[in-house]
Amino acid sequence: MEALFAGLGALYLAKCDAAKSGQAFQAFLPAGSLVRAAERLLKGGYFIEDICAVDCLEGYVVVYHFDHFETPGRLTLRVLVPHDAPTVPSIANLFQGAEWHERETRDFHGVLFEGNPNFIPLLIDPEMADCFPLRKGEKARAKAKDMLEAGEVIFVSPAFTLMTPDAPAEVKESGGDQPATA
Amino acid sequence: MTSYQNTDHLAGDFYTQNFAKTAGEGNLILNLGPQHPSTHGVLRVVVELDGEYIMRAEPVLGYLHRMHEKMAEVKTAAQFIPNMGRVDYGHALGWNWAFVGAAEKLGGIEVPERAEYIRVITCELNRIASHLLWWGAYLLDLGAFTPIMYAFDDREKVLDILQIPTGSRLTYSYYRIGGVAQDLNADCIRRIQEFIPWFRSRLPMYKDLVSDNIILRKRIEGIGAIEQDTCRRYGATGPVARGSGIDYDVRRAQPYSVYPKLDFVVPTSELKDARGRYDVRMIEMEQSLRIIEQALDLMPEGEVLVKGAPKPSWKVPAGETYFAVEGARGKIGAYVVSDGGKNIYRTKLRAPGFCNLSLFAEVSQGTILADAVAILGSLDLIIPEIDR
Repeated sequence: MEALFAGLGALYLAKCDAAKSGQAFQAFLPAGSLVRAAERLLKGGYFIEDICAVDCLEGYVVVYHFDHFETPGRLTLRVLVPHDAPTVPSIANLFQGAEWHERETRDFHGVLFEGNPNFIPLLIDPEMADCFPLRKGEKARAKAKDMLEAGEVIFVSPAFTLMTPDAPAEVKESGGDQPATA
Repeated sequence: MTSYQNTDHLAGDFYTQNFAKTAGEGNLILNLGPQHPSTHGVLRVVVELDGEYIMRAEPVLGYLHRMHEKMAEVKTAAQFIPNMGRVDYGHALGWNWAFVGAAEKLGGIEVPERAEYIRVITCELNRIASHLLWWGAYLLDLGAFTPIMYAFDDREKVLDILQIPTGSRLTYSYYRIGGVAQDLNADCIRRIQEFIPWFRSRLPMYKDLVSDNIILRKRIEGIGAIEQDTCRRYGATGPVARGSGIDYDVRRAQPYSVYPKLDFVVPTSELKDARGRYDVRMIEMEQSLRIIEQALDLMPEGEVLVKGAPKPSWKVPAGETYFAVEGARGKIGAYVVSDGGKNIYRTKLRAPGFCNLSLFAEVSQGTILADAVAILGSLDLIIPEIDR
């Protein structure tokens, strides 16, 4: 699985407990390598499950779920984008089904997908499509690491602190099955 | 143009105008729906026609959008369960299951074994009801009126059975976090036992009356071929993927509940066309009967709701999980992210019909308009599920 992400500048790779979190593997990617990752997944026979965003304190975490028909196991890609410039490249030219998921994510959170071939409102009336109902107020936002599954860390880029538990001693010892975050 | 006509209306709305921008010279832009008998609800498809041929199509969604995902953020987990019965009225229990399953995973809640079997039995009965609804309505789309009468006759029996434990006939909210709302009583079990041989005797009649009918065959054979690669690119699952020869069923691929203990066949078809999807669903109804039969035999006595089951105010522990079940239309997924607060922080609902419909534009290209209706129907669309 790590080989799949070689050379993509992944920020965070972790193996997850599928029984608990429903996902087998997760990766945080820089927005710039998302399309290349999607290319590899398409070649590897993955299918797209869905795309959505989670509004966290640090920004919008755009979540891409993929799965495999022959060798099932959910693979989650994540991209963190800032609240004031929420833009990610579109993967709808590779996985055409992503077009609708991306448009829905724009309707709900206002995340923009550059290169989506038909980037118009999908579920919300075009006349009120900029209401972004799932954006949270500053006070309601929670930290990503308090909610998102940390998994068994395989690689973490030194500059990437989004998922680093608050107690710094925990960074190295991630092999245990019980992450120490509250 | 006379003054009483609404000229804005005649010019077409945002979607028609946007779609018409790239239309070919002399081609006709036609809105199929949102109120059209073949769209079963309010789905709208804008098509560009050259004569009878579809050059381009674009489904327009949102007419039944209710923002369930926002409602999930203003209710506690237990309060959100009734919403799940309203996402997909065809297979409401599948959605019940996906959501309570996700909450149970995060809460580390074990479901009593009897409740697991009750879930399997009721979910499979609901699948039969859903497939019967599809079958009757699909043939109605294709011009055959009689089959829906038979389908609804049988479906009525299923709804009568499901009404006993759930108290409703369509928008069930029967599953609870930690089990089900109440046990199947003796009357309910007797009716299920009577229904199995009855419905088994009906299926050959369906085949003789409808499935082998030459008019139906001409309408669906070789129509709307979907390649496996297309399923991957659009995320098509359920009978749509299996009708294209993909052996993928969440009950097998990512087993949950007591399905590993039950013996059943996951039907696939190499035909890839509307016929393939039709055949898969017809076999699935038989297999659901087999599953129900075994589950009735294996179901132990015991509780149907775990002791100390979550109260309505129960907070879902912090964390994230994704739980998927095999619905009548494919993979139903609930992605739940909780910060441990009163309400769930973020709930994403993966609707199989949403993904299955998204490939329609590609698959309908180059066909004639009448075949587009046959393709739409073969995808088994439930619009409230697509719009959520």
